Amino acid sequence: MAADPSAAPPAADPDGPDAVRLTWNAWPRSKIEASRCVVPLAAAVSPCRAPDPSAPPPLPYPPLRCKPPCSALLNPFARVDFAAKIWICPLCFSRNHFPPHYAAISESNVPAELFPQCSTVEYVVGGAGVPGAPQAQQGAPPPPVFLFVIDTCVIEEELEYVKMAMRKAVALLPEHALVGLVTFGTQVHLHELGFSDLSKIYVFRGTKEISKEQILDQLGLAGAGRTGFPKMPGQPGVPQVNGMHPPATAGVNRFLLPVSECECTLSTLLDELQPDQWPVEAGNRAIRCTGVALSIVSKDLSEPVRSHKDLDKDAAPHFQKAVKFYDGLAKQLVGQGHVLDVFASALDQVGLAEMKVAIERTGGLVVLSESFGHSVFKDSFQRIFEGGEQSLGLSFKKWVDGSTNTEELVEGFDQETAAVVLARYISLKMEMEEEFDATRWLDRSLIRLCSRFGDYRKDDPSSFSLHSNFSLFPQFMFNLRRSQFVQVFNNSPDETAFFRMLLNRESITNSVAMIQPSLISFSFDSPPSPVFLDVASIAADRILLLDAYFSVVIFHGMTIAQWRNMGYQNQPEHEQFAQLLQAPHEEAQMIIKGRFPVPRLVVCDQHGSQARFLLAKLNPSATYNSAHDVALGSDIIFTDDVSFQVFCEHLQRLAVQS
Amino acid sequence: MRMPDMPCIMPPNALGHGMTPASTPKMPYSPHSQVSTPSKIDPTQIPRPIAERSVIIFETRQGGQAAIPPAASSEFIVKDTGNCSPRLMRCTMNQIPCTGDLLTTSGMPLALLVQPFSLPHPSEEPIQVFHLINCINTEYSQQPYDITTKLSNMETNCISYLYILMSFAGFSNDTPREYFCNLGPDGRRRDADERPELCRGTVEFIATKELMVRDPMPAVYFFLIDVSMNALNTGATAAACSAISQALSDLPEGPQTMVGIATFDSAIHFYSLKRAQQQPLMLIVPDIQDVYTPLQTDLILPISECRENLEQLLESIPNMFGNNRVADSAFGAAMKAAFLAIKSTGGKLLVFQSAHKLLQPVDKNLKTMALEFAKYQVCVDVFLATQSYVDIASISVVPNTTGGRVYYYYPFSALSDPAKLFNDLRWNISRPQGFEAVMRVRCSQGLQVQDYLGSFCKRVPTDVDLPAIDSDKAIMVTFKHDDKFQENSECAFQVIMLYMEAREILVPVPKFLSSFVIECKELLSLTDFCCIFSVRCYTTVFGQRRIRVMNLSLTCTNMLSNLFRYADLETQFTYVVKQGKQLDQVTSTCINVLQSYRKYCASVSSSGQLILPEALKLLPLYALALTKSIGLRNDGRLDDRSYWASIVSSISVVLAVPLVFPRMIALHDLILREDDESLVPTPLTLNSENIRDDGVYFMENGEDGLLYVGNSVHPAILEQLFGVSSAAVPNQLVLEQFDNELSRKVNEVVNEIRRQRCSYLRLRLCKKGDPSGDFFRSLLVEDKALGSLSYVEFLVHVHRQIQSKLT
Repeated sequence: MAADPSAAPPAADPDGPDAVRLTWNAWPRSKIEASRCVVPLAAAVSPCRAPDPSAPPPLPYPPLRCKPPCSALLNPFARVDFAAKIWICPLCFSRNHFPPHYAAISESNVPAELFPQCSTVEYVVGGAGVPGAPQAQQGAPPPPVFLFVIDTCVIEEELEYVKMAMRKAVALLPEHALVGLVTFGTQVHLHELGFSDLSKIYVFRGTKEISKEQILDQLGLAGAGRTGFPKMPGQPGVPQVNGMHPPATAGVNRFLLPVSECECTLSTLLDELQPDQWPVEAGNRAIRCTGVALSIVSKDLSEPVRSHKDLDKDAAPHFQKAVKFYDGLAKQLVGQGHVLDVFASALDQVGLAEMKVAIERTGGLVVLSESFGHSVFKDSFQRIFEGGEQSLGLSFKKWVDGSTNTEELVEGFDQETAAVVLARYISLKMEMEEEFDATRWLDRSLIRLCSRFGDYRKDDPSSFSLHSNFSLFPQFMFNLRRSQFVQVFNNSPDETAFFRMLLNRESITNSVAMIQPSLISFSFDSPPSPVFLDVASIAADRILLLDAYFSVVIFHGMTIAQWRNMGYQNQPEHEQFAQLLQAPHEEAQMIIKGRFPVPRLVVCDQHGSQARFLLAKLNPSATYNSAHDVALGSDIIFTDDVSFQVFCEHLQRLAVQS
Repeated sequence: MRMPDMPCIMPPNALGHGMTPASTPKMPYSPHSQVSTPSKIDPTQIPRPIAERSVIIFETRQGGQAAIPPAASSEFIVKDTGNCSPRLMRCTMNQIPCTGDLLTTSGMPLALLVQPFSLPHPSEEPIQVFHLINCINTEYSQQPYDITTKLSNMETNCISYLYILMSFAGFSNDTPREYFCNLGPDGRRRDADERPELCRGTVEFIATKELMVRDPMPAVYFFLIDVSMNALNTGATAAACSAISQALSDLPEGPQTMVGIATFDSAIHFYSLKRAQQQPLMLIVPDIQDVYTPLQTDLILPISECRENLEQLLESIPNMFGNNRVADSAFGAAMKAAFLAIKSTGGKLLVFQSAHKLLQPVDKNLKTMALEFAKYQVCVDVFLATQSYVDIASISVVPNTTGGRVYYYYPFSALSDPAKLFNDLRWNISRPQGFEAVMRVRCSQGLQVQDYLGSFCKRVPTDVDLPAIDSDKAIMVTFKHDDKFQENSECAFQVIMLYMEAREILVPVPKFLSSFVIECKELLSLTDFCCIFSVRCYTTVFGQRRIRVMNLSLTCTNMLSNLFRYADLETQFTYVVKQGKQLDQVTSTCINVLQSYRKYCASVSSSGQLILPEALKLLPLYALALTKSIGLRNDGRLDDRSYWASIVSSISVVLAVPLVFPRMIALHDLILREDDESLVPTPLTLNSENIRDDGVYFMENGEDGLLYVGNSVHPAILEQLFGVSSAAVPNQLVLEQFDNELSRKVNEVVNEIRRQRCSYLRLRLCKKGDPSGDFFRSLLVEDKALGSLSYVEFLVHVHRQIQSKLT
């Protein structure tokens, strides 16, 4: 059983105070047992989630560690012998003495990291992380780093938008933030901002893959990082004499400069930035070197990662639409659409909000190219994780007892997490395995799960029932089968890549929304309320608001649309109608505001062409096959897909088969 | 020259002094010179070069025969009466042996030295230029083959004075009506003498559009400057930048002149100088293993659009890289990258290199690279300003394959060398030159071209490709017999060069001529006459595609004595210099020639005499000088020798001799001179007896100028010359002009020599008693030195060798 003392589900955050969710909150006893669980045992962790305002403040001292090789941090699950001033690591069961400065510890005086409700705490750690080093001596935290990556293979007009957004972004950056600029078209340009005489650019070719070592070597940074080159983060203000770059800037600081120092250079650069000069052969699309650009981004950033621990990365590869270019080594490399990608949309959203504008205007989507994108993303993600551990010392632990029987397993099932885990799992499998039939695999898994945990008499479908912890799971699976994650043919490969990327990145709650959109109905009859994600929810006098995470759809029923077209909302006596019209928009704006990247907002009317955005997500309980019993004002979906009801019937039949 | 046998004392006669002016056809003929054997040799009587003072008027053909050209070193004015000027083409012998055996017997080489753009004498008539419209009318314009046939036809007619029976006979149907002319009784066209294109030895044609494979290319100059630590510290970068900046004004004006610039250390930095940009854009290519260009356009721009930006950039480069700590220099990669930037147009790539630490090994890659450069018409000149070994032997492969050359400043002095660097660069871009040239030499049946030697690239055996060809470059062509000639028949040589003028491009660039040359070959089989065609096809600096045709026709002979009589010493000696032989080989070559003469032509002489053919009487002296030259000496630096070897490969006759056999003049008594005929005083014999301890001497070889200051020079002279009264003058010499007559005179003389040599000369001060003085003395060819013979001893040695061979 979950032994967490604060087991009561927190209302504020569905992902819990620790941002850790497990598919099974009880351990299967053995490997065989685990394999019979169908849904793998998995944890979804969001270590860098924005801190919960109600969480305890960060602890102003470094964490206490278990002796190596365990090195686990002291946490509420540790057994503490207050008398002997000893704690026992819950992971390796080693006995550790408290250090001298913990001498005052007692049952009535425990440090915050031992509070039971503090299963997640943050530490503020000084640069070197020396235990006990007074914070005052640790100096100011290193400045955040922003490296902008701009595609120049765009038409002039769009580049102007980007420039505009960039200027705004730069203006909004904190003075001390370090800025770098990479532009790329056919070749990659790394701008050396710390060179005042003229615009200095390192050019890398797009057709060649370059290793991180080569780049560091070629940029003259090779020795710098490794041999402890005396870097001067936060104080590169060495005066530039006669245009010579001082030796101190020989390192990475040549490329990353405080905004205050390079704002001018940067704006000049932006002014002169032109669309890629390399000619485009007739009939071909512009050749661009997204891959190398990204690889440089990731390689180059590895340097600041080490020198500037508090890293905010904000890299924004921005591509023009629709280029597929196959490269010898990454044949599936696909870059399409306009892109604003954020590795770690950490704390500072300042630059991002501006970039968003550019994307919306150019009608682009947030896409990351598949092969590099993923590795870049993962690398960066991992690095942030490493960086985060050093700087913040997050300690998140959840104690799960070894459970013994099926009932306990059932009790511990987290169907939302399970659905998301399965979605991620099949996404990976679809990428990695050719000919992988996701639908069949999902169906089989669901059937096995239902057979394993359902309550039924053999060969009697009508006797089938599921524990409440599983009740939503078939519906999740049904929607997953119909979602963009499985039905990839409706999307371009990089849209799919993008969807998958966000699926992998977002919290469980958000991921569930991607798999199973929510539908809210607005009508005169009742306050806004969730309704079934079913075609039957459509009514002529309703406005529906669909939140499919990547898109938000406002759908006006036929009658509402007619009224609106006649302009009733502008008449004072119909103010209520105006309010009804307005309400879903407000709700949609709420959703959009709280989400990054910005979802696409679709406003449509029943029977309008845009209505497909809603219909595609609805359970086709009424299709043209069953059109005879269509009620007035309701709708049908022109599909051969099975409805959820049919799906469930099949499931029950198959699950109870012996 | 006949010298007495050892026991006899014969009074010197007019011929016996060895003081006869260099033989010209007008000169009374002396069968041979003799030098007596050692003990009695009078050092004042042995053969030495005589300076020719008067200006000779030289008609290339007289009395229906080729005239014997004056010495290359003398001043002469050529009148083209059927053969081309000897400046353009000189043969090692002015009569051609009828058989290969005769040639072998003589021990002499048969070779042409072709210097297609040699500077004419100011009083000479310019080469006449013709349009090809005469023989190409519209009905042929769509048929390239026919046009080239016509062109060849024209060439054939250009040598109609050679009593060619065929004339237009074989092609009369093809002759355009307006060009048709009846033949006279001698088989010549009756109008041949009125038509310059039919009676001149050298003519030029403007190539028509039909002969062009590509549109006219702009004249591109790309500067590549080393900015690694060493280059900056020694001032080489600053010198290069300043030189380029000043030389920009010498580039031809106009939209067709384009420039580009890049710098390099361990990476390559390109610059985009587009005027619209507020700042120049520096684009760095860090990947030197596999280079590429950072932009497709804008790396080269018309000079008119970027002159100011470029000047500004050149001014800021030395500071910009002021404390560059990168010691490596990616020489090869930088050249490759710059090449890529101008690959589409071709052009000149001027590399300023100084670092000694090359990042990539200089090896066979350079040869491959050079061939590719040549293929895309990129000519590379390398300016090496260095203070250490740089492996010139390897580096020089690139310029020597692409029609460029190496300039060498060692040890580079930031004080004295920038002036030379600037002048070298300036001359390099302002001298007469052509781009995209193809040259082919043809000759009468009976001979065939054996090999070409010079700064060029040869992709097919018969043609020479020259991305650039300038007035200083000469190409040596060797021949061998494949048949016999009749006595007194004529052997003709024709050089055809197609080239593009590079100064201002008015007319489309002519077709790049491989196809043209192939057609010529087919036609040649029809020409049953003895004729060596030097066909030059090149591009002059004015952007016109032109065809320069140079013809030389020489009489054939069966007489060995005639071969010796008409031998051209300077050309033969240049041949030996270019052969790159070893020390012993040089001596034995000399001995073989003299032995042959002794054996077959001087049978009457007694065995105790050393007998020299009059035309070749200086051969031993020059051979001795060659064994003591920088290129062959064993005690020199490897780079010095490699540099020497690299420049002699394309050196002209007129510069080859002084390079080996320098000229020495006295400066201290300049103002006392009586003979005011010429600016430069009579050269002194190269032995130390002529060096007085209170004298100041100047010795030059066309490359270096050595100012020798004796131990007890009067302080006033030093004061007048150098502005200081003691010998504390630095070795790196800047020859200033002070306000006194001596200084003015000296400067006048040095400037005149510079003009003659087309070279600024690298001036050095040599002081008696220190290594610089020793070096000076080592160039005194006639002196005995450690491990080498004096002139007299050498004559004795040669004589003994001949005697031992004869017995």
